[in-house]
Amino acid sequence: MIILSVIQLVYVLALAPLIAGLIATIEERIESKKGPSIFQPYYDLFKLFRKESVVPSAASPLFRIGPYVTFALYMLLTLVLPIITAFPLQFGPVVDFIGGGLTFGAAATFKKLTALDSRNNYSHLGTSRSASIGALSEPITVLIFIILGVISQTNNPYVINNVLQTSTSWYLSLVHWFVAAAFFMVLLVETGKLPIESHSTAELGAIDQSMEMEYSGTDLAFFKWGGYAKQFLLMSVFLNVYTVPFWVPMRMNFNAVFIYMGIQLLKLIALSIVFSFLEETVSKFRLFKNFDYISIAFAMAFLSFLAFNVSR
Amino acid sequence: MKDFFMLIGFSEILLVIFMQWEVYVTKIVKTFSVSSYLIALFLFYLSFIQHSYIVLVLAILTAVIRGFFIPYFILKRLSRDPWRERESTPITGTASSIIISLMIGIFTYVLYEATMSSFVTISLGALPIALIFQGAFLVISRRSAFIQLVGYMVMENAAFLFTGYLFPDLPFSVEAGTVLDLIGIVMISGVIMRMRENSAKKSDDFDELRG
Repeated sequence: MIILSVIQLVYVLALAPLIAGLIATIEERIESKKGPSIFQPYYDLFKLFRKESVVPSAASPLFRIGPYVTFALYMLLTLVLPIITAFPLQFGPVVDFIGGGLTFGAAATFKKLTALDSRNNYSHLGTSRSASIGALSEPITVLIFIILGVISQTNNPYVINNVLQTSTSWYLSLVHWFVAAAFFMVLLVETGKLPIESHSTAELGAIDQSMEMEYSGTDLAFFKWGGYAKQFLLMSVFLNVYTVPFWVPMRMNFNAVFIYMGIQLLKLIALSIVFSFLEETVSKFRLFKNFDYISIAFAMAFLSFLAFNVSR
Repeated sequence: MKDFFMLIGFSEILLVIFMQWEVYVTKIVKTFSVSSYLIALFLFYLSFIQHSYIVLVLAILTAVIRGFFIPYFILKRLSRDPWRERESTPITGTASSIIISLMIGIFTYVLYEATMSSFVTISLGALPIALIFQGAFLVISRRSAFIQLVGYMVMENAAFLFTGYLFPDLPFSVEAGTVLDLIGIVMISGVIMRMRENSAKKSDDFDELRG
């Protein structure tokens, strides 16, 4: 079990930058540009790890430890979420779905605190925006987890995967698909994709980018790597728990797990293509329109409750 | 049948929520067209299940009149006045409209369970009733006369869904009468809008129509 935990950790940390690079490359190709290599995030990380970090004179020690704490929290999540197996690994019982959500929330909160600590006006701007959107999107996530709890009678993501793998009626039910749609919308918010957030650091729309503005060198590398890992984890949860729960090994079998690691990568590549096309076809909402988007996500999550009740 | 009705019912609710989100009248009208085609699809399925030619005729009428003719008529009218295309100042904000519309759905379900479920033992009946209320909310939450008209027709669509699922033996004359009423309503609405436009031109009161 412990070996699989380590393999899962290495798998996520090694492939997370690749998925980010893949999305960037596909987007550029859609725009008929050559674009960067899919390995560009690795080059960026390598470059940043070799540079020294510059710290604002007004910042407290919190500023320095922030990237490491958030990175550690994402590593913890890597050990407990169903990424390459549908049976709990060594650290699986540590948290349930709510606990996982809280850990994601803790990492986001820590990032906001460090951004505030940087004393940079743009970082404060991004933090304010991120907090406003997060305050509305986090309850949706909790609502989604509660509905999944209703489906599976538990809050364990592994059990939810098993239920959806084995029960065609639940898999095809409107309750499940409303939840999946709501999570997809929240996924776009959490991973900073269009129509919520663009890649640019323009002050009119920047959210996540402006929060990291004062970071450099190794600190920035850990923030970026953590961000890639977060995206990888959320995409994996979306695929393994919500939409394509199939083929994830439900019993301990090394061969099955290794084969599934390849399948999981293919699933992630497919989702990356969807993300890229979405980013290239929708334009960014104005900031205040983001709340309309979130209200739609809330509507999706709530409609699943209605669907559950009327279909009983 | 139950699953298909549920799928159509929730699709209709989603389309109304999309209408609440949208500020462009053309897109709302096109959404209404899709909504009507879905109702027609449901009626077509119902006619197939019940082997009823009457319901089949109703399905065709719904698709032709509500899915094609009415949206076509409205879009043609809109193309003459591009400034009507966007409703810039809805009465309630978009996000709050969506949440209120959703709450109306929940309220209707609770109301239906508390009042009608004792003699109508189909819990899915709450869906078309929720749709009626959501259509009514679309009417009162917007200023544009075209969107109000669409809201009214959403209520009519909900009535079709309700009668089709819960009372499939309802005499065809009543259902066809509803369709004919609709044609009349659209015609009358067109006349009323023309009158409003003319009177506004005289008084230069364009704000009322700007929507």
